[in-house]
Formats: sequence, C-alpha cells, structure tokens
Amino acid sequence: MNFRTIIEPFRIKTVEPIRQTTRDQRAAALAAARYNVFLLQAEDVLIDLLTDSGTGAMSVQQWSGMMKGDESYAGGRSYAVFERSVREVTGFAQVIPTHQGRAAEHILFSTVLKPGDVVPNNTHFDTTRANVQDRGGVALDLPIAEGHVAQSTDPFKGNMDVAALERVLTEHRGRVPLVMITITNNSEGGQPVSIANVRAVREVCRRHGVPLFIDACRFAENAWLIKQREKGSADRTPREIARELFALADGCTMSAKKDGMSNIGGFLAMNDADLARRCRTRLVLTEGFPTYGGLAGYDLEAIAVGLNEALDEDYLRYRIRSIEYLGEKLIAAGIPIVTPTGGHAIYLDAKRWLSHIPQSEFPAWALTCTLYVEGGIRGVEIGSVMFGRQPDGSERPAPMELVRLAFPRRVYTQSHVDYVAEVLLHVNTLAKSIRGVRMVDAPDVLRHFTATFEPA
Amino acid sequence: MRQQSWAEPWRIKVVEPLRITTRAERERAIREAGYNTFLLRSDDVYIDLLTDSGTSAMSDRQWAGMMLGDEAYAGSRNFYHLQEAVERHYGYPELIPTHQGRGAEHILSRMLIKPGDHVPGNMYFTTTRAHQELAGAEFHDVIIDAAHDPASEFQFKGNVDLTKLDVVVRKYGPAKVPYVSVAATVNMAGGQPISLENLRKLREYTKRHGILLILDATRAVENAWFIQQREPAERGRLVSDILLEMCALTDGATMSGKKDSLVNIGGWLGLRDAALAEEARSLVVMFEGLHTYGGLAGRDLEAMAIGIEESVREEHVRSRIGQVLYLGQQLIDAGVPVVRPIGGHAVFLDASAMLPHLPREEYPAQSLAAALYLESGIRAMERGAVSAGRDAATGENRFPSLELVRLTIPRRVYTQAHMDVTAESVIAVREVAERVRGLRFTYEPTRLRFFQARFECVHPGGIFGGVSAPERALAMASSDSCALP
Repeated sequence: MNFRTIIEPFRIKTVEPIRQTTRDQRAAALAAARYNVFLLQAEDVLIDLLTDSGTGAMSVQQWSGMMKGDESYAGGRSYAVFERSVREVTGFAQVIPTHQGRAAEHILFSTVLKPGDVVPNNTHFDTTRANVQDRGGVALDLPIAEGHVAQSTDPFKGNMDVAALERVLTEHRGRVPLVMITITNNSEGGQPVSIANVRAVREVCRRHGVPLFIDACRFAENAWLIKQREKGSADRTPREIARELFALADGCTMSAKKDGMSNIGGFLAMNDADLARRCRTRLVLTEGFPTYGGLAGYDLEAIAVGLNEALDEDYLRYRIRSIEYLGEKLIAAGIPIVTPTGGHAIYLDAKRWLSHIPQSEFPAWALTCTLYVEGGIRGVEIGSVMFGRQPDGSERPAPMELVRLAFPRRVYTQSHVDYVAEVLLHVNTLAKSIRGVRMVDAPDVLRHFTATFEPA
Repeated sequence: MRQQSWAEPWRIKVVEPLRITTRAERERAIREAGYNTFLLRSDDVYIDLLTDSGTSAMSDRQWAGMMLGDEAYAGSRNFYHLQEAVERHYGYPELIPTHQGRGAEHILSRMLIKPGDHVPGNMYFTTTRAHQELAGAEFHDVIIDAAHDPASEFQFKGNVDLTKLDVVVRKYGPAKVPYVSVAATVNMAGGQPISLENLRKLREYTKRHGILLILDATRAVENAWFIQQREPAERGRLVSDILLEMCALTDGATMSGKKDSLVNIGGWLGLRDAALAEEARSLVVMFEGLHTYGGLAGRDLEAMAIGIEESVREEHVRSRIGQVLYLGQQLIDAGVPVVRPIGGHAVFLDASAMLPHLPREEYPAQSLAAALYLESGIRAMERGAVSAGRDAATGENRFPSLELVRLTIPRRVYTQAHMDVTAESVIAVREVAERVRGLRFTYEPTRLRFFQARFECVHPGGIFGGVSAPERALAMASSDSCALP
C-alpha cells in the first residue's frame, strides 16, 4: 500500500543537546541582548529558527568528504571535486568558490557595477542590496503585485514583474549591467518563481542584451515547488528542472549554506570566461586563491556532496512538507501567515496579527521578542527594521511586517515542530497585550544585525 | 639533560597518501600550469612547500572541536570560546572574526585609510599592500637595510628603521599616516623576526605622533620564539608571555589563523578601541558574515580557539621552528645560497645567487621554482619580481632586492625524511644550475599577478634548455627518476 506519512529520508547519526530555560531567564537574556534576538547567546535559545543559512545537519557522506579535504593552497583535488559537482548541477562552465554567498555578490558587483548603475531583481535580499548600494548602484525590486499580498494564494508569488522589467530596461538603457532573479524569493515569504516567469525574464533580457544572473541560494526548493505547482513539470526530476532554470541564465551567485547543505561556503558561476577571469582577479584580493576561494578544502568537499543531496526527491518532499505541516496548524488556529507556505520558512504576518501596533513601533520586531520570551524560539524580523531605512537616510515603512521562522535543514524533528505550534497558539491568546518597541541605536548599513531597542 | 633535538611533541593519528610522479608527468604538468607552481594540481605534487597557510595538520583535539561546532547564525558559543582564547593569548579585547587574514586586511584598510594616505611598514606583503593601495594609500618600506641583504646574519632583520619611518612621517605629516603596519615575522624578508626592543621603540614613536600601530600577527608566535632565543634581555620568558607583550604594544592586529593557529581556514581582526570595533562590525557583516561568525562555520571558530592554545606551547614552537632550521642547516652545509639567518616558517633560496646568469627580466626565482618541481616534484613559491608586481604609478616592473624561492614548511605535516628529500632535491638542482633558463609572461593579471600568471620558456629547449640531450639524461640519472622523456 501507499503510506501517507512522509518520513525523514535519514536517521540521526550525531546529536547536539539543547538547553531548557525558564521564562524569567529568557526575559533577562533578551533585556541583556537589548531586545535584538541576533544579539542573544545561541545557548540561551531553545529552538533556533533565526535562519536556515549554514545551520543544517550534514550527512555522513559530507563528513567523510570533510576528512578527504585536500588543504593544498593551489590546485587541490577538493577543488576538482567541487568544480565537477557545481558544473553538473548548474551547467555553468566557470566555477569560482567564495567563503559564502555575500562574497560571491561582492565579487560580482565590484567587477561589473559602476556608480549610478541599476540592478533589477524580483526582490533583493538584505546582503545583496547592501552590496549593490556599496558600489554606488541602485537596487530595484520588481516583484509581482501578488508578492506583497500576504493572503493571496497565487502559487508563484516570487515571480518578477516582467512588464516592469521591460520598462526599467528601456528607461535605464546602458545603465543595467545585469538583471538578477532570486529563487526562491526569500524577502517575499520564500515564494517560488515559475519557470515560465524565468523564461519571460530571459526573453526581455535577451532583447535588451543584458545578462541574467540567478541568486540560487534555494534553487532545489524552488525546483521542487515548480514540480508541485507548475503545469507540465510534475513528471520531471528536481535536477532536470534546476538545470533548465540555470540554462536560462548567464550565471549565478550561490550561498551553499542553504541548498548546498553546508555550514559555510558559496560560489559564483557563469559561462563568460572573460568575466570569470576579471572576477578571479578580484577574488584573490578579498577571498582567496581561485581553487579555494576562502574555504578550507574540507568545505569544498562537503558542498560538492551537499548540492546533490539537496536535489534528492525524498529529501525535498520531507523538507517542504515539514513547513507545510506547521503552516496548516497555524492556519487552523487563525494565525495569519503568508500563504501558500514557501520553501524554507513560515512567515508570520505581524501587520495583521498585531494590528494594534503601529509600524513605527516595529510590530514584527516586537513579535520576535515575544516568541523568544514565551517559548525560547528565535525568529527573524523581515519588516521595517530590515528594510525601512532608505539610502538617503529617511524612514519608510516596509510593505509587509513579517516574522520568518526559518527551518534549518535536517535538524529539528516533528515534535520540535509541534512544540513551535504550541508556543504560537499560546502567543495567539496574548496577542493583544504585546507592545511595540523603540529603536535606541542602529548602524547605517544592515542595521537589523546589531541595532538595539527598548519596549515602547 | 637539556634537550637539543626538536622531536615533535605529538604522534601521527591520520595520514594522507602522497603520489610520486615521473619526470615525464611533471614535464607535462608544469607546461600546462604555465610554469607557475600556483597553477599545478596538488595531485601532481610530491612534497608541497608552496605555503604554510591553511596547510597544517589539525590535532585530534581540534577535530573533536570541529564536532562541537555550534552553527547558530548569531551568538554561537564557539565565538565566545575564540574570543576568550584571543584575549588570553593576544590580549585584544575586541574580536571580529573573518574568513581569513585578507578579510581582516580588507576591513581594516577600508576603515582607516583615506585616499592620499601613506602607510609605512616593515617590508610589503602582497595582499596587505594590495588592500592598502585599493583603499588609496601609498605603502612605504621602512624596514632596516639588513633585511634586503640575504647574507647578513643580523638576528632581527624584521626591525623597523625608525629614521626611515621618521622621514616618511615628516614628509607627509602624521595626519596623512593613519597607521604603521608592522609584521612579525616578516614574510618577504625571509620569515625574519622583529625584536621586542624595536617594537617598544616603535610604540613610543607612534604614540608620540598619535599614529596607530597595527600588527600583522600572522606568525607572531614564531616571532616570540625568536625573541626568546635571541634577545638577551628576554631569555627565559615564556613564548606566550612575550606574545602578550608584543600585542600589548600595538593598537590592533590582523590575523590569518591559517599560519600560527594551526587551522585550515580562519582569521580575525583584533582591536582595543571599542568605537573602531563597532565600525568594523558593521563592515564585516557586508563582506564576511555576522560579527559572531565572520564568514566561518562555528566548527572553524572552535578549531581556531583550540589551535591558538596549542600554538603557544613551548614544545610546539621549538619543534616547529626546529624542523625549519634542520632543513636550512642542511642547505647551508651544502653551500646552497639561502637567506640568513633561517626564518621561522620557511627556507628562502637566493635565486639571484643560484642563477647569476639569468637577468631579472627573465624571473630567476620563478624559473628556479619550475626547475625544482621538474627535478623532484617539490612545489615551492616564487617571492621575487613576479610577486612584487608593477608600480601602481609608473606601471613598471618592481624589482625588489630579494629574488627568492620560498620552501615553506606546513605545520605538523611533513617528517624529517621529507626534509631530507627536499634538501637532496635542491642540491641536485644546484648541481645543474647553470643550465637553467628563464621565463616570460604569456598572461599577466593586473593585480596580485603571481597567483594566476602564465609563462613560457625563453629558451626553446625549456627550463633546462642549456643542457644537451645526453647531458640531460645524465643529470636525471643522478636523481632517482627513471622515466626519461
């Protein structure tokens, strides 16, 4: 018979104890962290859903690769293993390792971007935006309108607005060195981009002679969601779908800390050999020699294996179903979340849930504080703290106030997920009593990481 | 009894097999690599002395620490462990981890340098100067003259010449000199140490002029050992104690943990000033990673914390440098021209002296490194005109006084027998040195060209082009290679 239960396609080889704390201890820890969960000591967190980046559990195959790491400074065999794996998965000929995804962005943008240039993206992620702006570029977000409607059930809310892209490329002719598309679209709720959308974007880029790069952090999850949701893709493997996505682009940046199933690492890949050569000249300055790119040999091995594990169908089915399972429990309890559930996280809609808190008092930020104090859960604000500050220094409320509960890969079990649901249901009973926060101090760039707050 | 030998204070736990190649395989490999040892595949290398950076063998305790990696994005316990280790042994209260040393240099240069500034230092280092120039500064070498003389036996060839420094500071004014960059040991001078006395004077000078003093702490532990051995006033002090004093004399440090700290990846920026550290944290998040992981996995932070503890132990440093001195002494005994005295992490062959018939324009050190690889499969690194690059203003080749080939010894990786093979190989190449011919560029990158440059042989007969075919067969018969091309 066909069993309905979807199980983890692995068993546990190594465990890491987690520490229980009392509500009083957590309230004190949060005050000491100046109401910024980024500044908490990880030991004080029970369930850490801050990010799915670099927090996954590696497989025994990856750990055995770690022991095979060739630490030669130049020409190491681990690089050859890495290069082969990236080529197989992406199809790109030129493979440049970097210590993580933001370094790939830094190399790419510092090579191709001039001050005043414009980079369109469906939605830039925070580090991508910061790297574009650091070069004096303008980071333009062009998501489809449904992307900003939390309740919409459009299956591909991560898509790019193709008509808007056409307008931007016409209006800024000669000032757009490349177009980027982020799959899945993290800042819009981990929502996938359809293959039809990437094709349409490719076509616009081709007509305007502008290269297309994919921010490929979660390419495997996006491929799986295409398989589930897009007509004509049901019978194809995630690997085939991913290859088609990459084939539509000229290159990609990748944080291997997501769908590379690794704790560190990233890469930049492309077909243009001349551009790759220029990127490598920059690479040796800030990252490392081209055959290690700022990574240990053992990391290259772990990524080479991880990229392939991320495309395993049983794994992807389990991964996406875990997120969906929590989403169903929350929807049943009437807790507002971004629908449909995406690839790597649940996004709580704080604007609706805590509608009594004005955006100037950062409702999503306040919710991250509450989740920690009540249940020891650490989530991340994706709202006006992260996106509110404009390049000219002014403040503008973000379109959405979300709290992202991102699930590390292969780390938490179903009972952990049940506990998270229980905490959220409890928070739902006291939602109206949650108060906003006031920002005390913040740096100019990427302020959410280190800003400090106090209760409003 | 007082121990004279440098026996390793560990035994071997895990091994990595090596491949021995034939002469014909090496002929092909070095040609495909454009006669640049950086571009060889490590599988084609027998003994890899390219660098001591990130090539160390970790201990069982470090590997156990790898399993204790806390991969939380923020506030990982491994960060706090590393912070403790750095504060205990280097003394800097503010720690910003980076994925490796050049990550720290990148952030430091961006923070402190304004276009038009001037940075004096005790000889340039490739990536350090590249970051200083990228940020708009001009580098000024203020190392003592003895550093440029490979035959000088002066014990502290890494010292700063305070008169030279004063000339730079007077010429441009202290406001145009954001910091003095002091390396311990000085890599490009041959791994030569700076004395504690010199560092104290330097501190006194920079303090008086309100200039920051920044340490390149990459091999500061090895430097501390030389101070203990060679500076009469410091004899009998612990290496760890001297290290702390060296750091206490500076305002901050960039560190590549891939050298002294016995790890395969990792570095940090250490500072005293809290406001400067805040600025560094907002930069590190853009280029490296959040300030509690800096672009490293939690396990890498842990391995570095443990590596720091292991690196400052007396028996470790003695054995580490003892091995380098062992190789150096064999070459000195055989009359091979090397930089004297032998440095901490490498033996530097004096290519100008070994190949006096080659003009600088044909890159004798690059040619010697290729010849050594062809002869025995040993990979060394050029540290001469190719590494020095071109002058940023004139575009002309810089010809530094030292034209060297570096035989860099990874930590805890090779045995005494490997050192013996290395010495034999160098001596064998020296026997046929007059036959060695030069190289010219076929591809020259704009920055840090030595990493990826490609060359071709000036002579149609190749690197050993000066040799007739029968002579060449004879030369090879003297080595143990049997596969004739």
